[in-house]
Amino acid sequence: MNPWGFVQVALALLLSPLLIGVINRTKAFVAGRRGTPLLQLYHDAAKLLRKGAVYSRTTTWVFRAGPIVALAATLGTLPFLPAGGLRAVLWFDGDLLVVIALLGVARFLTVLAALDTGSSFEGMGASREVTFSALAEPALLLGLAAMGREVGSLSLSDMSSGLTAAKWFQAAPAMMLAAAALLVVFLAENARVPVDDPNTHLELTMIHEVMVLDHGGPDFGVILYGSALKLWVLGTLLVNASLPVRTSSVAIDAAAFLAGMLALAVLTGLIESAMARLRLAHIPQLLVGATALSVLAIILVLR
Amino acid sequence: METRHCLGLILATPAVGAALCPFMRTQAGLLAWALGVVAATAVASGVCIHAVFAAGPLRVGELLHLDSLSAYHLGVMMVVYLLSSVYSIVYFHDADLGRRDATRYTALWLGALASMALALLSNNLGLMWVGIEATTLLTALLITVHRTPASLEAMWKYLLICSVGVAFAFMGTLLVAAAGSKAGEALVWTRLRDAVATLDVATLKLGFLFLLVGYGTKAGLAPMHSWLPDAHSQAPAPVSAIFSGFMLNSALYCILRYVPLVESATGGSGWSHRLLVAFGLISIVVAAAFIAVQHDVKRLLAYHSVEHLGIIALGVGLGGLGAFAALFHTLNHSVCKTMGFFCAGRLGQIYGTHDMRRMGGTLRSAPVWGTGLLASILALIGVAPFAIFMSELLIVKAAIDGGSILALVAFLAAGAAVFVAALRHAIAVAWGRPARETAFVPAGLLEVTLVVLPLGALLLLGLWLPGPLQRAIEEAAAVLAGGTP
Amino acid sequence: MTNLIEVVLVLVVLTDFFLLGSSRLAACIRIVAIQGVVLGTLPVLGHLDNLTLRLVFLAVGSAALKAVVFPILLFRAMREANVRHEIEPFVGFIASILIGLGSLAVSVWVASRITLPRPVVSSLVLPVALFTILAGLFVIVSRRKALTQVLGYIVLENGIYVFGMVLVGEIPMLVELGALLDAFVAVLVMGIAIDHISRSYDHIDVDELDTLRG
Repeated sequence: MNPWGFVQVALALLLSPLLIGVINRTKAFVAGRRGTPLLQLYHDAAKLLRKGAVYSRTTTWVFRAGPIVALAATLGTLPFLPAGGLRAVLWFDGDLLVVIALLGVARFLTVLAALDTGSSFEGMGASREVTFSALAEPALLLGLAAMGREVGSLSLSDMSSGLTAAKWFQAAPAMMLAAAALLVVFLAENARVPVDDPNTHLELTMIHEVMVLDHGGPDFGVILYGSALKLWVLGTLLVNASLPVRTSSVAIDAAAFLAGMLALAVLTGLIESAMARLRLAHIPQLLVGATALSVLAIILVLR
Repeated sequence: METRHCLGLILATPAVGAALCPFMRTQAGLLAWALGVVAATAVASGVCIHAVFAAGPLRVGELLHLDSLSAYHLGVMMVVYLLSSVYSIVYFHDADLGRRDATRYTALWLGALASMALALLSNNLGLMWVGIEATTLLTALLITVHRTPASLEAMWKYLLICSVGVAFAFMGTLLVAAAGSKAGEALVWTRLRDAVATLDVATLKLGFLFLLVGYGTKAGLAPMHSWLPDAHSQAPAPVSAIFSGFMLNSALYCILRYVPLVESATGGSGWSHRLLVAFGLISIVVAAAFIAVQHDVKRLLAYHSVEHLGIIALGVGLGGLGAFAALFHTLNHSVCKTMGFFCAGRLGQIYGTHDMRRMGGTLRSAPVWGTGLLASILALIGVAPFAIFMSELLIVKAAIDGGSILALVAFLAAGAAVFVAALRHAIAVAWGRPARETAFVPAGLLEVTLVVLPLGALLLLGLWLPGPLQRAIEEAAAVLAGGTP
Repeated sequence: MTNLIEVVLVLVVLTDFFLLGSSRLAACIRIVAIQGVVLGTLPVLGHLDNLTLRLVFLAVGSAALKAVVFPILLFRAMREANVRHEIEPFVGFIASILIGLGSLAVSVWVASRITLPRPVVSSLVLPVALFTILAGLFVIVSRRKALTQVLGYIVLENGIYVFGMVLVGEIPMLVELGALLDAFVAVLVMGIAIDHISRSYDHIDVDELDTLRG
């Protein structure tokens, strides 16, 4: 137990919508627009939560439960999530599997809710989401496993706090590969360019957005907030792996971590500005490529 | 001037000759120039070969080295090249290549001679590899003298398969160099031979495997032979003749260079010999199967090359008398196959096809070439009293002496199958009815000589092996057995 | 220093994977050129403390050959043969990457079983060499275009180049130059061949070069 970990959970709950705001502001800046306010997502979520919901008659309780359970599962990962050198609330050997499994549950429920509508568009989105997630998961697991092997533990907190700068640079090639793989997973799982375009409004090309088309009101608010949280969770994993600032001072570590998250959001914005969405047929290549990076990282640390 | 400096001449003459080709004006002049250069190279080679068998190996520094094994192969190569250069004149007599293509043809022809000579003369195993790789690249463009889609296809397959194969041989060379890193300058053959006890055996063996597969691809050993029938059938006949007559042997020669090293390093365990026997038998059996279903006369001859290179590998693998027989067989096969391609090429020109079902009655329409083709196929399938029969008999004897019953049975069974299958083709071509009536084509004195000379040599060697030649082959076989000549 | 060498070697592996997974011909030619440059730095990095003129000369020579001459030749062939820009593989890109992963594992396993007669700068050199060789071979057999086969051949040569560095630190200059020259002539001749093939066939798909059989 680390009581200080609750501070981190609170930070995640508070700051995760801000990341989306930063991404959007970066994109706007690059495009020469003023862009939406940084806190736009807070306003959106608050507005949606105040609204009523409309449910189609073809849907069942699964459709209603989807967003809530998905959010709950995502929330469930937060106590296991270390922030840089700072340990999480809870940790034990193998807790990274719990985190990945909880993310899987969240996805599963989202997909079920999408299928429950009986709409062909949402079914298509669900099928794509599952396909790409199935390809992204090995990359994520193996990338984390490479880190775990380097540090000698399968607990996220141990891995994160044990990954000192000395250790990181000693295995620099492997760590860079793992970080690159995690970056691809981060982009893919959060439906960012080049895998998905959060701004797209054409159902045929959407992946994540198309699944939640039928949700409205509070449900949609929950979904928006849940995806912001998911962005935070995966972003944390990536920042932990790629930013080895581990000092004895909590303040420095925390500052480094937050700076890392901010930099990640800016980077994401830049990537979205610089790249176009990949053709759907090429996305599996990217994800399998990320898996290849992870495998290479594992081979490097196993040597 | 010392004799050993002639070694440089053997390399320089064809290289310079190739470089001077653009200064020739006509196709006839170019082909005559090629013949002249080849003849000059042959003279230089003759001097060196004589010196080797009279007074022992020649050496120039660490680079060039001519011992009895390479001298013997050099002799075979020069015979093949001389005959083929004369034949080029006959073959292209009625075909106008155009000056540009004729220049290219002659320059590549001589370049290939230089690169094969480099492979033979080099004492440095790396340079030997360079020679073989250069041979591939130079001869690739020779295949497409007649630029048809089929010849381009054949060239592409040849180029790619052999380049990759020879790349494997380079890995093998590197592994051998690594195995010999304690022996100082790691790629010099004579040093490796003298320091054979210090070689790292495991690395050496691994290297030999790569070399066998790599050079084996170029030598046309099955199952790496797939480029061979295409390239042989699509190349113009003189090129097919040097391909089959010596280029395959030059690659096999590279493998043979390593055999004594591996054998002495492993304490005469016969490990490399067994591998050679296996590849040899596979080649013989595979070739036998393809010969049976063949209709294209040049492809038939090409598969015979696979078979006979397999027989040579088998002979070397059997060791002892087998090595002698294999080297003897090298000469016989090269002479016979060269002549076979001469005839097939001319008959192809006369009939306008290489399909044996459509070129019956060759004995009537072109008696000289028809007889030559019939005789060469008869010789190739081991009919007595041609020399090939004698060398194959010796290999059988070596197999019996060595107690390799399995190899013997496989060899004889495949040989019998080839005999029946090829004889069927040969009879149809010699006496069968042509698809369309072909006028009688007379042959000049030169053409008669090109058939009679090799044929006579084969008959003569079959009945009587001259003393000097026998001694030369014995000395070359001694190098294979690991002795110092 | 070992670390820098490992970064270079990892880059080589990444270029291999890129080649296996990329569908654009031009991108593949460029990535092979990059691989050539990256490889060119290896001998220099390996001998930083006793750098000889000969080493620098060879490194610059091979990098210039692989990064400048080869791409020029290949792009020329691509232009003149009017090649379609998409690679059409016999084996899909994802399957190619997965096969690449498999051969990487095999390379690592094989390399761990070979005891080298001399010490190597990094334990990664041998697996990377083997993997690059396998990747080159795989590209040769699994791609439809003659041009891609040439790329595979260059990658194969690159792998052997690394392999050679592992096994024999000092290949005689003459042999090394010969090998380099051979690689150059090979690509040149293949370029000429592609030119001829495209003229007679209007394409350079090797799967249609199948009239000769039996």
